Amino acid sequence: MSAPAHHVDDQWPHEPEKATLEGRNKVIGFWLFLGGEAVLFGTLFATFLALRNQIGDGPSAAELFKLPMIATVTAILLVSSLTSVFAIQAMHRKEVKAMLNWLIVTVILGFCFLGMEIYEFVEYVHEGHTFTTSAFSSSFYTLVGFHGAHVAFGVAWISILIAQVRKKGLNLVTAPKVYVSAIYWHFIDVVWVFIFTVVYLMGKVG
Amino acid sequence: MTAHDMAPDNSKRRHRHEGKQKHIIAFIFSIVLTLIAFVTVASVGEVNPTFTVILLLVMAVLQVVIQMSYWMHMKDKGHVLPIVFMIGGVIIAFTAIVMSVYWVWW
Repeated sequence: MSAPAHHVDDQWPHEPEKATLEGRNKVIGFWLFLGGEAVLFGTLFATFLALRNQIGDGPSAAELFKLPMIATVTAILLVSSLTSVFAIQAMHRKEVKAMLNWLIVTVILGFCFLGMEIYEFVEYVHEGHTFTTSAFSSSFYTLVGFHGAHVAFGVAWISILIAQVRKKGLNLVTAPKVYVSAIYWHFIDVVWVFIFTVVYLMGKVG
Repeated sequence: MTAHDMAPDNSKRRHRHEGKQKHIIAFIFSIVLTLIAFVTVASVGEVNPTFTVILLLVMAVLQVVIQMSYWMHMKDKGHVLPIVFMIGGVIIAFTAIVMSVYWVWW
């Protein structure tokens, strides 16, 4: 029935991230962490919504934000979320090389997002929108900067995981780590959906 | 791989894995919802701000539900605790938002 050559493939469980108790604990624990992250971003959104019209002497949201730029970074993050789904699908099939390639694409897109966000912030500072300009600018940089820091952390984390899988291979210890990092990356994209809606688009509307 | 290219037999024995298709559909939905949001702001954003903001929030919630269900696998079985954790977090976050907006604007 099963040829010895396929032994390894047959041993690879349907959901390798949940095949061990440690893996299951890791996934559940990570979801609890994400619940806390939702609270963290929720309070930052609350602060921003309360203060977003207090612009003092600085520029307003409608003057600052440029829709093409926001649409581009949104598209980048959305595509990177899709590529990390593809990485997990490859992981489930134990296609290590495909998984690593999708993860690398995800990391590159994460770097593109970060680069554009840094460019965006530098441009705002030149237009007189610094961290201490107004209550609006402080709450803006705190919220969007916190999200950017999460992207930077995710990029570093996934890069380290790529190196670890290269060194130690894909097994029941490394698979849950990759799975959890992909869940994190999707969460970052989900937070961005609210940021481009509440901060940028609602800022444009006024 | 080359020595054991017995595709039909092999595919039968392996686990059944979900295809790329539904994730691409989720992606297309996300793109469309995002486009609707951007186009609405660019076209009627200044004419009818109340309608625009309500539509924006509906588009965002729809997109987040789609992404969490499919990409974060929350619609799959065995995700009761993740749903409990996330809804718990969202309730606290939503309370904070309603409270601070109420404090400042009413």
